[in-house]
Amino acid sequence: MKILLTLVALLPLALVYYQLDSAIDPIKMLYHYTGIGAIALLLLSLLPSTCKRMCHFNLLRYRKTVGLLSFVYVLLHASVFLVLDSELDFITIFEKSLKKPFIYVGFTAFVILFFMALTSFKKLFAKFSKYHKAVYLALLLALLHSFWAQKVAGVFEYSVVMIGIFLLVERLFISFKKPKSLH
Amino acid sequence: MQTITPEAFFNARRQFLKLGAGALVSSTAISKLLAELPKDTSLHYIPDSNAQKLVINPMEQATHYVNFYEFSTDKEAPVKLSQNMKTTPWHLGFFGEIAKEQMIEVDTLIAKFGLEERIYRFRCVEGWSMVVPWIGFPLYKLLDYLEPNSDAKYVKFTTRHDPTIFPDQNRGIFSAIKYPYVEGLRMDEARHPLTFIAVGMYGKRLLPQNGAPIRLVVPWKYGFKSIKSLDLIECVKEQPLNTWQDQNPNEYGFYANVNPEVDHPRWTQAKERVLGKLLKQPTLKFNGYAKEVEHLYAGMDLRKFF
Repeated sequence: MKILLTLVALLPLALVYYQLDSAIDPIKMLYHYTGIGAIALLLLSLLPSTCKRMCHFNLLRYRKTVGLLSFVYVLLHASVFLVLDSELDFITIFEKSLKKPFIYVGFTAFVILFFMALTSFKKLFAKFSKYHKAVYLALLLALLHSFWAQKVAGVFEYSVVMIGIFLLVERLFISFKKPKSLH
Repeated sequence: MQTITPEAFFNARRQFLKLGAGALVSSTAISKLLAELPKDTSLHYIPDSNAQKLVINPMEQATHYVNFYEFSTDKEAPVKLSQNMKTTPWHLGFFGEIAKEQMIEVDTLIAKFGLEERIYRFRCVEGWSMVVPWIGFPLYKLLDYLEPNSDAKYVKFTTRHDPTIFPDQNRGIFSAIKYPYVEGLRMDEARHPLTFIAVGMYGKRLLPQNGAPIRLVVPWKYGFKSIKSLDLIECVKEQPLNTWQDQNPNEYGFYANVNPEVDHPRWTQAKERVLGKLLKQPTLKFNGYAKEVEHLYAGMDLRKFF
C-alpha cells in the first residue's frame, strides 16, 4: 500500500519531466509543479490525525510516508532554486536572495522539513518527535511563500490557504479542549 | 518543379468551392459563406533589418505565454478566452491637452502613419523575456498628428473597459486587479523614437490574447508598461497613476525601467529566463537600449524612481 502511495505521489514528476522539453518557461513550470506537490502532500500528511479525530478512521500509519513524499517535492523545489534559478551562485544567494522575505520564508520552511525528514527514522524519531510540531510553522511559512509567488493571489491560492487554516484551527480547538491528546 | 499552394489560398479555394455549391442553393447561403471567409490578417510593412541579430522567439511562445489579466491570471488561458473578441471596427479616443479631441478607427491610423517592423527585446517584471517582431508605427508620429499643447506633460493610456469582452472585468471584488488598466509615460519617453504602437506581430495582425487590435510597446521598460487593447490615449498635465503602482506601490513604480541593479522586493532582476530556455541569461540595463534612452533619466536616482 505504501509503495502504491509512493508511486501515485511521484507520478506527476514523470509528467513534468515529459513536458519539460516543450515548456515555454521551464524553470517557472518546475517551480510551480514541485511547489504545488510539496504543499498538497504536506496538507495530506496532516489529514490522518484530523481524520482519526473527526471520523474515527485510522490512517496514521501512512503519515510518515506522505510527509517524506512531501519532502521529496520540497527538495526538488529547492534544487530548482539552487541549481537552475541561482546557478549555484552562492554569493548572490546569501547576499541578495536570502535577504528577501519571499525567499527566506520558503527557505525556513525547507530547513524545518529537512530536519523532520532526517529525524523521522526510528531511533532519532523517539528523541526528536516532540519537535515535529514545527510542521505547523513550516506549513504556515509554505503557504505564505506560495502566496507571494504570484503577482496577485487568485482563487487557487486562497483555497489552499483555507484548507491549511482549517487543519490548523481544528488542532487548536482540540488542544484547547483536551490539552494532552494532540498528535 | 511543383510549387506549394500557400495555406491562405488553399483555404480560400475550399471556401470558393463551397461558395459555388452555395450559389445553387440560395443567395442567403452565399452571404453566410462570405462572412465565414477567413480574414486576411497579413500586413504590409517595412521590415526591420535586425542589425543587432536578436534571436526571435517562435510565435507559439509569444502567443501562448501572456499576461492579460482582463481574461485570466493564467498565462495560457487568455488564448481560448479571447477567441471571440471582436476587434473590428475599433475606435480609439484621443483626448486631453491636444489640438482636437477625436475618435479614430484603427485602420484609419494604419493608413495615416504606415507600418514598419521593430524587432525588440521584451522583458517581463516576473523575470522572463523574449524577442518579438512587432508591426506598427512609432508613437511620436501619432503625437505629431494630435499636436499636444504646452500643458501636456504626460501621456495616459487606458485599456478598453468592456465586460462583454473581458470576463475578469465582470467579477467585481473578485477581479484580479482594478480595471480599466491604466499606464502612463512622460512626454519625452512617449516621443522617443523607440516607443511604438503595435497593431501586429510576426507579419500579421495582433491576436486577441496579445492585445488586439492596438497596443503600446516600450522596449526598455518592464512588460506591464506595454498596455494592451488600447481604448484611450490622453495627453495630461499630471503623472498618471498606473495600475500596478496603484495595486502595490512598494513593488511597482511609474518608470519601471528594466534594471538588473534594482531588485524587485521579492526577487532579483539580475538575470532573466528566456522563453523556451532552461538556463538564464543576464538582464541588460534598460533592456539593452541604454545607449538610446539613458539620457532621459540623467541625474535621477533609479532606485527611488523604479
